[in-house]
Amino acid sequence: MKMEKVEQLRHYYLRHDKKFPHVWCPGCGNGIILGSLIRAIDKIGLSKDEVVLASGIGCAGRMPVYADFNTLHTTHGRALTFATGIKLARPELNLITVMGDGDATGIGGNHFIHAARRNLNLTAIIINNQIYGMTGGQYSPTTPYGAKAATATGGHLEHAFSIADLAVTAGASFVARGTVYHVPHLDKLIEQGIRKNGFAVIEIMAYCHTQFGRRNKMGDAVTMMEKLRDRAVAVKDPGAAGSPGTAVAAGASDTPGAAASAGALDSDSLDTLDGKFAIGVLTDVEKPDYIAEYARLRAASRLNAQNAGNAGK
Amino acid sequence: MQQDIQILIGGEAGQGLVTIGQLLGKALVRAGREIFASQTYHSRVRGGHNTFAMRVGAGPFAAPRESIDILVALNAETVELHRPQLTKRALIIADAAFAPELPGAIAVPFGELGPEKLWNTAALALLGQVLGLQEQQLYQAVEATLGQKKPELLEENQEIMKKSREWAKAHLPEHDFVLADATATADSTQKRLLLNGNQAIALGALAGGLKFCAFYPMTPSTSVVLELITHAETMGCVIEQAEDEIAAINMAIGAAFAGAPAMVATSGGGFALMAEGISLAAMTETPVLTVVAQRPGPATGMPTRTEQGDLEFVLHAGHGEFPRAILAPGSIEECFTLTARALALTERSQSPVFLLTDQFLADSARPVTPFELNGITPVRPGDDPEKVATPYRRYRLTPDGLSPRLLPGLSEHLVVADSDEHDEDGHLSEDYGLRTAMVKKRLQKLELLKEEVTAPTLEGDQDALLLVCWGSSLGPVREAAAILRDRGLKVGTLHFSQVWPLLPEQFLDLLQKADRVVGVEGNATGQFARLIRRETGFTIAELINRYDGLPFTADFLLERLETQRAETGDR
Ligand SMILES: Cc1ncc(C[n+]2csc(CCOP(=O)(O)OP(=O)(O)O)c2C)c(N)n1
Ligand code: SF4
Ligand SMILES: [Mg+2]
Repeated sequence: MKMEKVEQLRHYYLRHDKKFPHVWCPGCGNGIILGSLIRAIDKIGLSKDEVVLASGIGCAGRMPVYADFNTLHTTHGRALTFATGIKLARPELNLITVMGDGDATGIGGNHFIHAARRNLNLTAIIINNQIYGMTGGQYSPTTPYGAKAATATGGHLEHAFSIADLAVTAGASFVARGTVYHVPHLDKLIEQGIRKNGFAVIEIMAYCHTQFGRRNKMGDAVTMMEKLRDRAVAVKDPGAAGSPGTAVAAGASDTPGAAASAGALDSDSLDTLDGKFAIGVLTDVEKPDYIAEYARLRAASRLNAQNAGNAGK
Repeated sequence: MQQDIQILIGGEAGQGLVTIGQLLGKALVRAGREIFASQTYHSRVRGGHNTFAMRVGAGPFAAPRESIDILVALNAETVELHRPQLTKRALIIADAAFAPELPGAIAVPFGELGPEKLWNTAALALLGQVLGLQEQQLYQAVEATLGQKKPELLEENQEIMKKSREWAKAHLPEHDFVLADATATADSTQKRLLLNGNQAIALGALAGGLKFCAFYPMTPSTSVVLELITHAETMGCVIEQAEDEIAAINMAIGAAFAGAPAMVATSGGGFALMAEGISLAAMTETPVLTVVAQRPGPATGMPTRTEQGDLEFVLHAGHGEFPRAILAPGSIEECFTLTARALALTERSQSPVFLLTDQFLADSARPVTPFELNGITPVRPGDDPEKVATPYRRYRLTPDGLSPRLLPGLSEHLVVADSDEHDEDGHLSEDYGLRTAMVKKRLQKLELLKEEVTAPTLEGDQDALLLVCWGSSLGPVREAAAILRDRGLKVGTLHFSQVWPLLPEQFLDLLQKADRVVGVEGNATGQFARLIRRETGFTIAELINRYDGLPFTADFLLERLETQRAETGDR
């Protein structure tokens, strides 16, 4: 993207004169994700006022504070429930939620699986840095086994789950995983997620060098980002030929897809500090979204009522 | 008498200002000084304006001062933000790049002293020189901290400290901040602990017999648990970070049912999620201690600031009617003693008990003499199975409302609990007569709680100006009163470290006797004053409220007392 264009987007979409400097640590990947999100929205051509960005609390949850849309920075764990309310009341709005791993799957875990099951047309962006960043590095539901955290000083005893797998099982119609390293790829995943009619989850593998990297001797932000590059293995789009989960390794380029060996794509590897994990579109299924189902039910009951009325005549 | 000195170190989080503060604090405490350290930080990890404040002098202190005598500015923003607070005699230690044009400004060429990552150590050495601390005293503190964790850094730190001292010796302007006899070797016979409120709560809980704590991280309560974690192994205490606060409180109830003295620690928003569990604890008559470290609400509010806004919430949380007790420590010592006491109280009354603190108390540190353990008996949960009447009935109706509490798996008796209304055996029941009896039985336990109420403490004169406060505002209120007394006024303070239940016979006459009663509360609406009126009919007509997110200080109180007197006329 040309520099002037970048500048333009920044000025148009960010609350640069009000809310900056932002709170994120220098080197944090959250800004990269904010960039991807804005480029995706710009590419789709949504006007600012058609978009509602909702979030919970956390470093990830701060994102809507900086982006110039209709925004709701809510309470920890509740972003999806707010978004659900908005969408049901005003289906024409485009709802995007931004959550942290703890926000979405710890305190908000129940809402998350039920939002997926309900299949309302929402986009859930989950920044998975595998830790509670904002509150000082306590472990999250995605902190790998054995990793150190403020509340796991002797190494974590519990196991991480895979957010993407959870979303698939719970019934989300679109589930993708990207990283903060593979940026053009991430732009595309977010764009696809927003365009998808149905509950779309984009899990973004990120890092928190301040609260997680330091404790686990994983190096600085750059080193942690390189690690994400090396761990990610791209899968073929399930829409294209090949079944979901077919591995085409990402290799070292910033657009995944270069040839390399697949490695284990087992979600267990997200329970380690260095196992390979799949990125790309993991699930993309067509099913009527909740609003469509609702409309169908209303049409049917209207018809029933009409018939009943006619019968009475 | 030498005036006390208020030092403020300001900069971005990540610049190491907490490290300087802690090291200086350690060195000063070892040197036999009184200090009071308080921290304000933003809810962000790096960036943003953060401060570490320390008051030094004859003390002891229980509050910071609003004005600043020595400002250590690690960034330009610090100078701008705190300029209005500087006293006439103030020194400002700042990098030459942004040192202001003020009489007390010391423009330090940090770049010449060493690499940027060590500038905080340089500032520490400069501060030591200003205060007249012995070189050795600071070195020892640095060594004790770095030596364990990062011995390789020790040398470069010592080098920059030395250089900074040399620079200071040559360039420090005239000032009067050298601590009297600071060069004398400290009296090390008296051992003291530098503790903040949350650390004292954790220690008090362990001393009181805590065996289980579940929590979900929430500022400013999290450090209670971090402190517990460091002693968990030695003390045989189980700590579990739950997936949210609803889980945490229910885990604690489960653990307590099974026989582990249990607590949870949270702040307002998390406590809101626990309300259902509190109600369950009350219905099943399971002891549980809830520590609520308040921060300004509603909702996410100001996560790293302070307020006393949740008193009414904690008093009423949980549906249905049941008794409870709420303790509100006013000092680091009380954080220790009252937590142990609260744990005993919840076990004894089989009712929920709360410890209500706030960010100010949680994060301020002061040297304390090691706590007295005599008089604290660790909780022994449950009753003796040999001694219960048979057949065993968990909810046996008794005159005092207390039923025999056995623990599952430890005798032939089965232990049954139900969140539905239940009969004496603990089995669900819809019998109206039984319902009435059970409600009465549970409420009867309030009398037990009343027998153990910690009476409010009166200090100073009783019948002139009486300042009424609760919880963390004790320190600043007492300091303000002492200043007024020095000016020849008659002033008393009445502090409640238990805010529920209230026993009017313990304090009502004091309120009635005083000429002028002023309620001091860190909230906007005077919740405690309202509670006193509800319970006694006495109206505290004059209130001083603070709800900007900052703690009370003597300066703030004196100013308000002055202006309010002017407004209300000389009564
Ligand atoms: C009810 C409630 N409990 C706890 C908190 C404290 N809290 C705020 S953010 C957060 C965790 C943030 O972690 P995550 O969601 O992973 O986001 P990150 O900061 O890592 O981006 C917690 C525990 C809160 N605000 N509200
Ligand atoms: S704490 Fe971690 S997640 Fe939060 S801004 Fe810093 S690096 Fe990013
Ligand atoms: Mg996180």
